[in-house]
Amino acid sequence: MDKSSHRRTGTGKSSGLSDPSVKRRGWVTADFFTHSYRVSGAVDVRRLPLADQLNDRTTSYLLLEDAYVSPIDRPGDITASYAIAALRKENVTMVVLVEKEDGMSKKESYGSYFGTSLRSVFITVPQFEMRGFLRVVGKFDLHALLATGTDRFMPLLEGTTFASFNTDFQFNGGMILVNKDAVGTMCVEEVE
Amino acid sequence: MAKILVIDDNTDLLRMMRLILQDRGGHEVVLSADGADGLSRALTSPPDLAIIDVMMPGITGYDIVRRLREQPQTADIPILILTARGQMIDRQTALQAGANDHMAKPAAPQELLDKVDELLALVIKEADPSVSKAKVVSLLSLRGGVGVTTLAVNLALNGVRALQAEPPRSNGQSGEEADLDKDSPQALRQQFEQSSGQSQAKRDVCLVDLSPSSGQAALHLRVKAQRTWAALPGLGSDLSPDALIDLLTPHSSGLQLLAAPFEPIYANTLSAILVDGALSGLKSCFNLVVIDVPPLVDVVAAAALDSSDHIILVLTPEVGAIQSTVAVLQVMDEVKDKVMLVLNHVSPQPGVPGAAIAKALRRPITLSIPYDPAQAAALPYGKPLAWFQPSSPLAAALGHLLKTME
Repeated sequence: MDKSSHRRTGTGKSSGLSDPSVKRRGWVTADFFTHSYRVSGAVDVRRLPLADQLNDRTTSYLLLEDAYVSPIDRPGDITASYAIAALRKENVTMVVLVEKEDGMSKKESYGSYFGTSLRSVFITVPQFEMRGFLRVVGKFDLHALLATGTDRFMPLLEGTTFASFNTDFQFNGGMILVNKDAVGTMCVEEVE
Repeated sequence: MAKILVIDDNTDLLRMMRLILQDRGGHEVVLSADGADGLSRALTSPPDLAIIDVMMPGITGYDIVRRLREQPQTADIPILILTARGQMIDRQTALQAGANDHMAKPAAPQELLDKVDELLALVIKEADPSVSKAKVVSLLSLRGGVGVTTLAVNLALNGVRALQAEPPRSNGQSGEEADLDKDSPQALRQQFEQSSGQSQAKRDVCLVDLSPSSGQAALHLRVKAQRTWAALPGLGSDLSPDALIDLLTPHSSGLQLLAAPFEPIYANTLSAILVDGALSGLKSCFNLVVIDVPPLVDVVAAAALDSSDHIILVLTPEVGAIQSTVAVLQVMDEVKDKVMLVLNHVSPQPGVPGAAIAKALRRPITLSIPYDPAQAAALPYGKPLAWFQPSSPLAAALGHLLKTME
């Protein structure tokens, strides 16, 4: 990651006083997990949603502002903080977002002409296991989901993830973006 | 109106906080966009309440909280951590750092104002000399059948009686039928809510049944628990008193029960963080919390014992119970000062003499509860002795124990 002595500001980014939820408009704050760290930071999504930035294969890095780093075995402790950081996307195993809408790609926000269904899934990635729901369009093909397509990150709705080495370390999100390349096991519940 | 200090490096958020807290809430607001500056202001002119962000350059909110708690002039001010880091582990970290509560951003204005009011009320309650701080008492044994649940239920009811100072009810009253209406969850909740704003609030007792399954406390009290601690994981980071109160089952005595689930499938859903968070919330709205700790040495039991002011280790006068007590005392060395040994006679046979037990355990027996034949009928009829026969030997002994813990 890039160290910077820049003054940390929300320069030119107004939250909008009419926003009742006191949220920084145009920016999404999320928890990014690598194999060894939890990095909390804000991503500028005015140009492109976070999911699309992560899935953009033309860039290898994701830029964050106000990054706070915690080791994975002490995820509540902040051991480092920097104004600007760059995360190597292939090293990100998952991204936890509180609000589902913050993790939707442009194409998902448009909706679909085809019927969608939700499938309950269980996924393991290094150091974590998670449960949630996948939104499936049409017929569900587990192999196709994991092995085909250009999107590196798949969205898990209403996700809960636990550290496999300490179940007290639990993270919940309206959306968890999971790096398919990090998936070790993926189990799908049968539809009755 | 209170003086509230807000420390956050986001200047837009600070402007919003002034609108919410000052214009809407009527409080005096002091804003600081720098952690070090905010800390200095708090130490120089302590506010009535501080709202602190975590993620700030130079110094984190957790460090600010720790520094404030070190100084006598700010050691007791209520502190709310308001942060985008809203996971359970973050709440735990905030509470461990010394904050009173934790809220995740974005926070709805009314939610924030309610939380501020709640924390300010805490200050008033703590400043009132007639209001005592919540006491937490855990009861456990590694051996089943020694009467832990019986004693927990009766101790809790003794607590209710002591706090309400009402005359004892007699057995088999015709008023039992009238109790049916008063026993309804709706009526009792209304009574609880009405009393919570008055001096009666300081009398409330909560019994927590942490059994992994088929908890017996509800059976002792003859109440049907609609919700249990199995719902705790679903609350996520919202372990506010309001959310916890919704999980409680009322008893006609006024005792509130956080019951254990009947099915044995939720045992692994509890974590130390959840237990710790739930007990913190319950402590804020009850004067006495009695915990029936399961017969296991695990993270859940450890969290309950860590939160306790007193730990009652229950044993019966038989070799097996003595052996398991020796074992549990060895692992509880760090909290041994909180431990009281209670010898519970569950049968008319005298068993191993108390003096011999004390010698074997190298600890005095705090209380020896005599065999009470009335207890045999209490459970089948759902009439705990401490409430329905307060002069019985078991109830009287526990009443005496409760007094020693004051």
